[in-house]
Amino acid sequence: MNTGGWIFMLVSLALVWGTTIWAYIRLLSAPAERPDEPGKE
Amino acid sequence: MNNSDKKKMQWGTRVGVILAVAGSAVGLGNFLRFPGQAAAHGGGAFMIPYIAALLLLALPIGWCEWAMARYGGEKGFHSGPAIMGVVGRGRVARYFGILAVLIPMVVYMYYVYIEAWCLRYAWEYLVGGVALTGSIDEQVKTAGTFFSQTTGTDTNGVLNMSTVFWLIVVVLNIVLVYRGLRGGIEKFCQFALPAMAVLAVIVLIRVLTLGTPNPAYPEQNVLNGLGYLWNPDFSKLTHFDTWLAAAGQVFFSLSVGFGVILNYASYLKKKDDIALSGFTASATNELFEVGFGGLITITAAFVFLGASGVGGGFGLGFQTLPVVFEQMGAIGRWIGFAWFFLLFLAAITSSISMLQPAKAFFEEALGISSGKAIAWVSAICGLGSLWVIWFSKNMVALDTMDFWVGTFCIFVLATVQIICFGWVWGVKNGAREIDQGALIRIPRVFLFIMKYVAPAYLLVVLAGFTYFDLRKKLGEMAGNPVALWTLIIIGAVVMLLLAMVAIGERRWRAAGMDLDGRRLLPGESK
Repeated sequence: MNTGGWIFMLVSLALVWGTTIWAYIRLLSAPAERPDEPGKE
Repeated sequence: MNNSDKKKMQWGTRVGVILAVAGSAVGLGNFLRFPGQAAAHGGGAFMIPYIAALLLLALPIGWCEWAMARYGGEKGFHSGPAIMGVVGRGRVARYFGILAVLIPMVVYMYYVYIEAWCLRYAWEYLVGGVALTGSIDEQVKTAGTFFSQTTGTDTNGVLNMSTVFWLIVVVLNIVLVYRGLRGGIEKFCQFALPAMAVLAVIVLIRVLTLGTPNPAYPEQNVLNGLGYLWNPDFSKLTHFDTWLAAAGQVFFSLSVGFGVILNYASYLKKKDDIALSGFTASATNELFEVGFGGLITITAAFVFLGASGVGGGFGLGFQTLPVVFEQMGAIGRWIGFAWFFLLFLAAITSSISMLQPAKAFFEEALGISSGKAIAWVSAICGLGSLWVIWFSKNMVALDTMDFWVGTFCIFVLATVQIICFGWVWGVKNGAREIDQGALIRIPRVFLFIMKYVAPAYLLVVLAGFTYFDLRKKLGEMAGNPVALWTLIIIGAVVMLLLAMVAIGERRWRAAGMDLDGRRLLPGESK
């Protein structure tokens, strides 16, 4: 694999792993979901 | 809808709905199509048009779908045609909305059969039924014969062993969809997605530790295998078909313009987040596609078979990789099982998402129970699927459905959706909907992209697709009775869905529902 290949592969992998981990951390650290209020959908 | 049905049709958790949408998006294309497309269109350089299409096309259209769906759900609608009628403010959009039911129904007809192949291969590996012996050339031949027998690609009119596996996956799909969103689809995806990640990691570790298995061919090593896919060829960026291929790959991979998000997100509550949820579902899909698909298949094939053994699509997944697993020795059988079970899980999380939009439409348009709706949808899709199995020679029926519905109609639906969102409903109303309950604020530049860039990009892609692929396909179809009859079947389903929209319109109007989206919600503008 040449230098260009390494750069494209590592940047792409960092991008997909980074955004996925960021998104799930953001999601799981958000305020808890409120349970359904009785009588409402 | 009675109370029990209502309870079944709600999402349980925030993560649950994201995994369900991601499960719908992650399919065979992530592992088999993406690496082939990337290798053929510039390797690492392919990521430039790929990321451009992701940011300018798929991600914004995905957000539009989430927003339109939740808005439609607030008005009491959960089916594609009804939601499109509300957002598109009238009958024309509503009738175009049948595409959001037609696409998942017809794609299901052939997808469920491919799913059965995956299950059968996984089973054969589990019980030691895949025996490839002799030289590499002989093994390639045997793997090809096994593939033909499994799929019936060498002759029409044969119901072979794979039909039994087809029956198993059909029943499984029906049961999961019948159990509802929370108890069926969500629960299954909460198990399946993590399981897929574990299986993908197992296969990935084995592939990346292969080294140079054959000293006679020192150039066939893991690094060169990765280089085959990732070394950039910038000259390919000057070719229009590279940009077209990248847009197509991103588009189909994320399941936008498919009708699934339009249904799934309609069950969200008014204060639920859609901005971060849409982003997270897309990111999960990209992780499987680039993070796993981009490292496993082509690398494995290259290491054992060299550049001549590397291709894309079904050939790579079902014919080349069994030969690769055979070279791995005793552990190859278990890696083979892990690989095909991974493909099966990827397929079933997608196929259940295809039944659900049709089921919701039948319920909503005809006012029938959930059980009756799934029975009708299963019967129609089952007959269509049997047609695909029966006319399996050279996969003519499958290819015809895949091209006209699984490709062309998706472009058309996405175009209609983005025009309705940006130009009829208005980006201002759309942004208001996206921001409601949002856990992240999407950059405002995306509103400009949604209104101008995405429709223009999509029209260029649609024109390019029509020029390059449509003419070629029409030429291939001429004089092929199976292809023509397959088109007639698709036409019959279209007529049925149009008639159902007409019935639904009367019911919704009689019930006093806002089917043309005339009654504005607080804060909404005309």
